[in-house]
Parts: sequence; structure tokens; C-alpha cells
Amino acid sequence: MPRRVLARIRKWAAGRKAIVVLLAGFAVGIAMLTLAGTTLVHTSSEQFCAFNCHEMATNVAVEYKNTIHDKNRTGVRATCPDCHVPRAPIPLYVRKMGAVNDLWGHLVTHSIDTREKFEAKRQVLAERVWTYMKGNDSRECRYCHSVKNMDPEKQSEKAQARHARAHKEKLTCIDCHFAIAHNEPQGGRGPQELEVDRSIISRGSIF
Amino acid sequence: MFSFIRRIRGLWSNPGSLGVLVGGAAVGVVVFASVGSFMVYANSETFCAESCHEMTVNPAAEYKGTVHDVNRSGVRATCPDCHVPHGYVPNYIAKLGLFSDYWGHFVTNSIDTKEKFEAKRHELAKRVWVYMKENDSRECRHCHTSASMDAERQTPKAVARHERGRNEGLTCIDCHFAIAHKEPDGPGPQELSAANAPKN
Repeated sequence: MPRRVLARIRKWAAGRKAIVVLLAGFAVGIAMLTLAGTTLVHTSSEQFCAFNCHEMATNVAVEYKNTIHDKNRTGVRATCPDCHVPRAPIPLYVRKMGAVNDLWGHLVTHSIDTREKFEAKRQVLAERVWTYMKGNDSRECRYCHSVKNMDPEKQSEKAQARHARAHKEKLTCIDCHFAIAHNEPQGGRGPQELEVDRSIISRGSIF
Repeated sequence: MFSFIRRIRGLWSNPGSLGVLVGGAAVGVVVFASVGSFMVYANSETFCAESCHEMTVNPAAEYKGTVHDVNRSGVRATCPDCHVPHGYVPNYIAKLGLFSDYWGHFVTNSIDTKEKFEAKRHELAKRVWVYMKENDSRECRHCHTSASMDAERQTPKAVARHERGRNEGLTCIDCHFAIAHKEPDGPGPQELSAANAPKN
């Protein structure tokens, strides 16, 4: 903050009763928190994620349309942030900091501003998301899909058998359920081929 | 301790400073964060289903194993998803309605036994049905978007009934009632429309 502004605030505060200054500070505090909170809510909405930015609107958001998470029997949807923005405060803030990277790519390097550039980077980008999801045991999937509330009797026999096998082999959701909302990258590694270290601490507690 | 009190009293006589301003901002942040966190906590399944005797032994127990609790995909809707509005203003109004719960819990003991709850079941259900009819099943629709329903994945019976529901100006709760709690004896939501709920 420029020194002149600071001096002005000091002078203003010194000319008033302390209680008035305290209440003014109180209002400033509430305003700041409201602004921060509203920004977080707004930037975690489908409106913001899918329509505000060229890269998302023309690629991933278009592909997502009419997939099972957009349109299904019950009309219960999962939109962009449901899968790609963490719910818990610390991972959420860390993820939001990562948005600086998006702005860098958009404004400075123009890394995926055409369909061709996006397709060329699809494998890299997909691997990044798969690694993230493997690292936190598909936390965002599990926020909605709770394993202990799944009714095996309502699942197909194939699904039951595969889930049982996945439990045994310590696979996580994204290992099999990939490319369900966006086009599958062609030719490269799938999530099961990716090496992700999950041994030290639960990455999900931070990232 | 006394110096703290003196400092508080000084707020009314002493002049302010930058420190006081920053201190006030810190208090504002803490107070507002507490209010917000409490709102989040008061909208959790832990709070609604497990903190209070009346809810735990009656509606929460009945809800266990229903389709909103256990289903194919494991995607759940818990108490607040259906019973607490998601918009800000309706949320605050609903939270103020909690005083009615406190009054019933501490003063009148209105449903503290299973018998009392059963005796009031129809009246309580009616209250929820009217609320849902009046706002066109807003909480249902927060998750279940008509525009995102795939008719081809629904049974022909469901498609036909939804069509009829739209034509007759019905709302979700008119048909989908008693799906998470036991059905009370007496008139259902569709019989209430003429008497209580204004059409949207």
C-alpha cells in the first residue's frame, strides 16, 4: 500500500473515537471475507468454468455436453467444478492458486488457443488430471459417489465383478472411469500406466 | 484482565489508530467466518441426523436404505439437500424457522416420544408438502434438472407420467412423496393443492 494512503488512513483514524474506527475495521473485515468467498463460489460455478473462457468453452465443455454426467435418467448432474475443484478448504485454495497457470497460458504463452494446439496437448493435459486424481484416490469422484452407499444389487453383474477386482488390486475410480466426460486421448498412456506415488502421506490432504 | 477492561472502556474515549482498524477487521473476519462455518455445519448430515433426538429416532432412521441413501451409483441426497433451501435468502429464512424446533424440543416437548411423533406425522408431513408445493419442489430441482433428464433412459411409464404431470401443472412432490420417510395416513400432497397451496 502506498505510504500516502496509509498516512491518510492513520490521520482519519486518529481524528475519531476508537470505537468508530473499530466498527469501521469490522465492516472492512466482513467486506473482505464476503468478497473472497463470493469469488470462490463464482469461480466454482459451471457458468464461470464452462462459458467464461475460450479454451474451456470450445474444447472440454463442448465434449462434456450429453455425457452421462450432463444428461441421464434422473437429471442429477455433475458439472465442471464437481470433478475438478476440491471441496475441502486447503486443497481448494491450493487449486485456486493453480489458476494462475491457466491465466499464464491464456494471456502470455497462448498454449491452447486453437483446436489444433489443444489436440496436440490433449495427452499431456489428461495425464496431469489423471495423476492428480490418482494421487488423492479420486477424491472428487468419491465426494458424490460413496462406495458404501452403492447398492450392488442395482448394478450389473459385470460392474459388481469389476469393482470387486478393483478393490483387490487397489485401483482407484479414474483408473477405469477415464474419458467418460471428455474425448479420450489417442495413442498415449492410460491412467493405469501412470506411476503415482501414494506412499508417503495422503496427497489428498494438501492437493 | 483489568487492563483489558480498561482498554475496552478506552474505545469510547481514546482516539483511534491504524492498529484499532486492523484489529476490527480481524474481529470482523473471525465473526463472519464463524457465522459462515456454522451455516455449513448446520447444513451437514451429522448435525441434522445425529445431533438431535427427534430427528435421529424418527425421520433419519426411516431414511436409511431409501433410494436417496443407497442406490446404484452411490450418489446421495442427505437431509439438508431436500429440506434446506440452497439460495441465500430462503436459507436464512429456513434457519430462523429452527426456533420452532427449539421451542418444540425444550418447551412443549411436542414430539419427544415415538407415539407423539406418530400422532403428529400427518400434520408435519403436510407442512413439508405445502412448503414444497409452494416453491415448485425447488429443493428437488436443485439436483434433478428436468432439462437434463434423458427420457430414453426412463421407463415408458415414467415418461408418460412426467408428461401428464407437466400437462396437469403438478410438481415433483405431488407424486414423489413418502420416498424417504414413511407415508402418513390421510390425504396426500395432491389433495392439498386446492385448500392450501397457491399455484405457481
